[in-house]
Amino acid sequence: MGSDETLRTHLQELRRGTVVVASLIALRHPDYGYALLQRLTGHGFPVDANTLYPLLRRLEEQGLLTSEWNTEESRPRKFYRTSDEGESVLRRLLDDLAAVQTSLTGLIEGVGR
Amino acid sequence: MSTLTDRYLAATLRTVPAARREEIATELRGSIEDMIDGRRAEGRDAEAAEREVLTELGNPAKLAARYADRRLQLIGPTYYLAWERLMKLLLSFVPALVGLVVGLAEGTDGNGGDAIGKAVVAALQTTVNIGFWVTLVFAVLERTNAKLDLPEWTVDQLPEDHTNRQIGLVDLAASVGWLVLVIAYLPIQHFRSFVPDTDGGNLPILDPALWSFWLPFLMVVLVASIGLEFAKYRAGRWTWPLVGVNAALNVAFSAPLIWLISTDRLLNPDFVNRWEWLAQPENLNNVATFVIVGTVLIAGWDIIDSAIKAYRNRH
Repeated sequence: MGSDETLRTHLQELRRGTVVVASLIALRHPDYGYALLQRLTGHGFPVDANTLYPLLRRLEEQGLLTSEWNTEESRPRKFYRTSDEGESVLRRLLDDLAAVQTSLTGLIEGVGR
Repeated sequence: MSTLTDRYLAATLRTVPAARREEIATELRGSIEDMIDGRRAEGRDAEAAEREVLTELGNPAKLAARYADRRLQLIGPTYYLAWERLMKLLLSFVPALVGLVVGLAEGTDGNGGDAIGKAVVAALQTTVNIGFWVTLVFAVLERTNAKLDLPEWTVDQLPEDHTNRQIGLVDLAASVGWLVLVIAYLPIQHFRSFVPDTDGGNLPILDPALWSFWLPFLMVVLVASIGLEFAKYRAGRWTWPLVGVNAALNVAFSAPLIWLISTDRLLNPDFVNRWEWLAQPENLNNVATFVIVGTVLIAGWDIIDSAIKAYRNRH
């Protein structure tokens, strides 16, 4: 239980909500589970498969994603896309993220002064 | 033979709601195969890739819980504190009460030797039962998301003086529980002592002649003791007036008890004669001495203890 463990849990908590934001942005272009996982990882959002797959289903149930089966390729794949509702939620989330960043900058500068 | 993937899917889908099972199965199988393909493209052989992917996805039960949005805890933060409070309250007096009732019933039934053992077993069984059933009810509440409608916490609930409170709610419940039991026992033993006389009728343990004055008097003293417990709880600690009343009540209860048993007037003569061992004068004397010493010790200690606590509060 060193500081590494503490750091890891704090980082995990900080990152937790951003997976939803990143998924909603990425799925403006429809994609299936594994490809989305690769894209997110490629863009610096490493996410566990066992977190992402259930998350996609949950977002779909909440109406933030829509889905469509593609059976043209070798194996059937479920393609997810950010819905209109998902888009408006995403915009609110991004605003909030920006607000957090602004507040942090303000704090840092205030402390530095 | 089924593959590891088949087995993994079966294990995961077993606990996913049936309505969504097939769709999740198709999607998850596709995802697993995609992941395996990805590993093979990096040069792993098929078997190693499959093992790695399934290991990465982890315990199927955990994955299924995420799909079903199921809780992986028996009792979560919503209900935990209510569960804890109820457990503490019930365990503080119910097992002791049951043990006492069983012990008394056994003892007066003529199984003196077994009484303590049976009382302990009954108390333990009650403890286990309370633990099991209360926890079960709360686990069900947790899973059904039932609203408990417990009153919201307010600042008014803050204890009067947290650091110095000597008498908590649990103490109150335990003390009152005992007193009620003893009060109830006095009339109960008269009508249903579990000791049959020679004709199979009921044999009261205490002398029925005492009902003309002393038994009602002792009951009144015990009821007054319940009042004292509530006063003590309201005060939250021992004060000198409370110590005084406590001492008076202790004397009011012990003195008649000691006087009655030392003059052979406490126990029902028929009850005494029913037992060959008890009917012998020296044994009866021993019992009387035992009761007297016990009463003096208990009452004495209670008075001293309350005085010590009141003294500490002052200094």
